[in-house]
Amino acid sequence: MKWSIIKYVSLFAFLFVAEVAEGRELKNSKDIPAGLTAEERRQLRHERRISNYQSAWGKLIPRYGKLQYAGSMGFLSGGIGWDYGKRKQWETDFLMGFVPRFSSNKAKATLTFKQNYIPWEIPVRPRWSVEPLTTGIYMNTILADDFWGKEPERYPNNYYKFSTRIRFHFFLGQRIVFVPNPKIPSHTLTFFYEFSSCELYMISAIGNKAIKASDIVSLSFGLKFQFL
Amino acid sequence: MLKRIIIGFLGLLPMACNMIEYHPYDVRISGEEDVNRKNIARIESDCAGKDTLRFALMGDSQRWYDETERFVKHINKRDDIDFVIHGGDISDFGLTKEFMWVRDIMGRLKVPYVALIGNHDILGNGMDVYEKLYGEVNFSFVAGKNRFVCLNTNALEFDYSQPVPDFAYIYSIYNDTTAIDRTIPVMHVRPGDVEFNNNVSYVFQESLKLFPGVEFCLHAHNHCLMEEDLFGDGIIYYGCSSMKDQNYLLFTLSPESYSYEVVYY
Repeated sequence: MKWSIIKYVSLFAFLFVAEVAEGRELKNSKDIPAGLTAEERRQLRHERRISNYQSAWGKLIPRYGKLQYAGSMGFLSGGIGWDYGKRKQWETDFLMGFVPRFSSNKAKATLTFKQNYIPWEIPVRPRWSVEPLTTGIYMNTILADDFWGKEPERYPNNYYKFSTRIRFHFFLGQRIVFVPNPKIPSHTLTFFYEFSSCELYMISAIGNKAIKASDIVSLSFGLKFQFL
Repeated sequence: MLKRIIIGFLGLLPMACNMIEYHPYDVRISGEEDVNRKNIARIESDCAGKDTLRFALMGDSQRWYDETERFVKHINKRDDIDFVIHGGDISDFGLTKEFMWVRDIMGRLKVPYVALIGNHDILGNGMDVYEKLYGEVNFSFVAGKNRFVCLNTNALEFDYSQPVPDFAYIYSIYNDTTAIDRTIPVMHVRPGDVEFNNNVSYVFQESLKLFPGVEFCLHAHNHCLMEEDLFGDGIIYYGCSSMKDQNYLLFTLSPESYSYEVVYY
């Protein structure tokens, strides 16, 4: 578990450094105006480097917050995310949630890493628009001792062939976007709902007429607060 | 118009509520609970005073939902069976819903059934689901003059955190004074399997032999039909196949003897 965290963090750091390096190269290739003294040129270069550095780290500032009810990722999950792409059609969320105790021995925390694709945004009225399709996948991990990512060593190799800790979900949904204050159009409030299912449910339904779509599909609702 | 939309929305609400799920392992139970206790009461009263009994042993329903449905329909067409034993591995992944799907399918049986816990039923927090839906992992019941002792033998899942098999439970049955002629131990995993605590397999066998009238034992788990005198002491271990093979073992018990056959459906 710990080793896998180190792996993901270092992968992320590598990608981020690569991104920063690329940005610096592009911006430095711009010509420095003629007629400056050596001292001024050095100063200008220094300022550019600082600003590149800050804007690179600035990309890490979350651009929105999200709250999601149900969806097989927890009773309630909340977190932050980043949108990107030409039309901001991609969104990546990182959510934390909890599952109440119900009939088990304790309540459990969950983490969700969610990738969204929102191909269209259609304005319907001033301050209102509709996103007729959102789709994507999310990976959910449940934090409790009874669940393992990799089978414990006591089992013979490939005894169960799956992880009880990590689930992969696929979802389809729709969203309505509202601008609460017309003076700040970048601040938006989005309401969404989603239908989702996880890989183990889909495997169970395949080849079984006894398992219906409504048995394996999970409905969820959520809110997104865009603040950047 | 608005009224219609609201009525339509309210109409969909119950369905929408059923589709709310917090986690595949959330142990949020709906529907019938404590199935074994209720069905044992039925078995004990239905079979009281009967000399000859007939029961079906099946198991490992796992992801064979359609086959399990077919099994239930087949058994419902017969009128010569007193009860059914599900030998464990109700679920495949230990997910809460899997248990409820199988409970609902098996619940359509006209005759009562009991279900044991299998190793797959312990995955994640499946055991919490099992205990809520079915009850204790070790249990026993009396049918006519026969006592069935159903034991959790999935030791590997517990990694010594719990006594499996639970000898304290086995010993507690020695003190039971109900008049019986025969004892039939039932388990998911038979001794010798990697899942069993094999350090105690001989002790386990000796402890079973202290029950009155042990002629044979029953198990599931191996996904194939099995019949073996495991310890060379004349006590045969009979194993049923998984639901995939669409068969079950049909046992007939009479005061003098027992017999069994494999029935395909």
